[in-house]
Amino acid sequence: MRDFVVPKTDTKVIGEVRLEYAFQLTAHYDPARVSQTPKGSFRYQDIASGEIRGERFNATVYPDSGGQYDTVRPDKIRDVDAHFMLKADNGEWVYMEHVGYRRPDGYYRTIAYVEADTKGAYDWLNNTTFVVTAQESSDQREVVFHYFVAN
Amino acid sequence: MTAEFEEAPGSAPISRRSFLGVAATAGAGAALDGIMTSTSRAATHEPSQAAPAAYYGGPDPKIPKVGLRWAFSATVFFADRVMINSITSPSGRGYTSVGGGEIWGPRLQGRVLPASGADYYKTTFNTYYMFEASDGAPIFIHNRGTMRRFQARPEPGQPLLPPTDPQSAGWTRFRATPVFTAPVGPHDWMNRTVFVADAKRQSNPDHTVFTYYEVI
Repeated sequence: MRDFVVPKTDTKVIGEVRLEYAFQLTAHYDPARVSQTPKGSFRYQDIASGEIRGERFNATVYPDSGGQYDTVRPDKIRDVDAHFMLKADNGEWVYMEHVGYRRPDGYYRTIAYVEADTKGAYDWLNNTTFVVTAQESSDQREVVFHYFVAN
Repeated sequence: MTAEFEEAPGSAPISRRSFLGVAATAGAGAALDGIMTSTSRAATHEPSQAAPAAYYGGPDPKIPKVGLRWAFSATVFFADRVMINSITSPSGRGYTSVGGGEIWGPRLQGRVLPASGADYYKTTFNTYYMFEASDGAPIFIHNRGTMRRFQARPEPGQPLLPPTDPQSAGWTRFRATPVFTAPVGPHDWMNRTVFVADAKRQSNPDHTVFTYYEVI
């Protein structure tokens, strides 16, 4: 392995991140299909429908455009991996991806990556990092996601 | 935007903002080393070492609050910067190799394992390399994010506008979202925590300072 001498710098400064509320998604899922894999329980849940409401972005989930492809690990933490498509209120397509964790203690946080038409009305979503908190219903069929812009 | 500040357990009563202000205006690494990154102090990884958290809500009080808490920082020095033309990315396929670096802050100390990986970006960055914690634990970092640039010093309460001149020195900050894989043991919390980072590019030598926040 190569060695590396860390140069002396005067750049040890704490950079700030602040969150700004953006919109909420109420999503409806089909029941989860769970299978056992070498990595834990694989958990597929089809996204049946959903609605996004916010000041700057309103959309509906394109039905059956994806869902959650999560893995429940041996330590009971669920690795969240969600992919689906949205149709904005003006008809434009938007892709949404979530990566994060749902824990047995109620912690359900993700990062969302969003891709919209760069020539469309929602281009601002493209270069924005979203921090998301989610609340799951007891039957896990309805999940409300709250999106904050990481400014 | 609303933000509330909470005292970290066991910490002196100090707001996050003034805490950050003190740390930032201290400026020189020496001052920060003294405050936060003393290598002589054994890392216990207890939350009592954590920085204060800031909580953010929405316009409706029913919207659950989300907190950010400074976990640690990484100073990462780069070596090679290479780009190959790509059929799938207008920015090409990049290779920006990691030379090495240092990890400092309340919840993790150590170093960037020298020559342990790179940013293999296509349009958005996509970085794979290794940390080595002060106790020797190898920690894998997969870091993703856009290259949206932020103004160096935002106006309080104002949204950050996109840069007018991306090359200007004032627009060197961006957001990073890492996923860590840490061994079972004292660093296991990193396997179940979402992170978001401020990243600030620096030159002479070519390096980036990442400030990692736990999303709580």
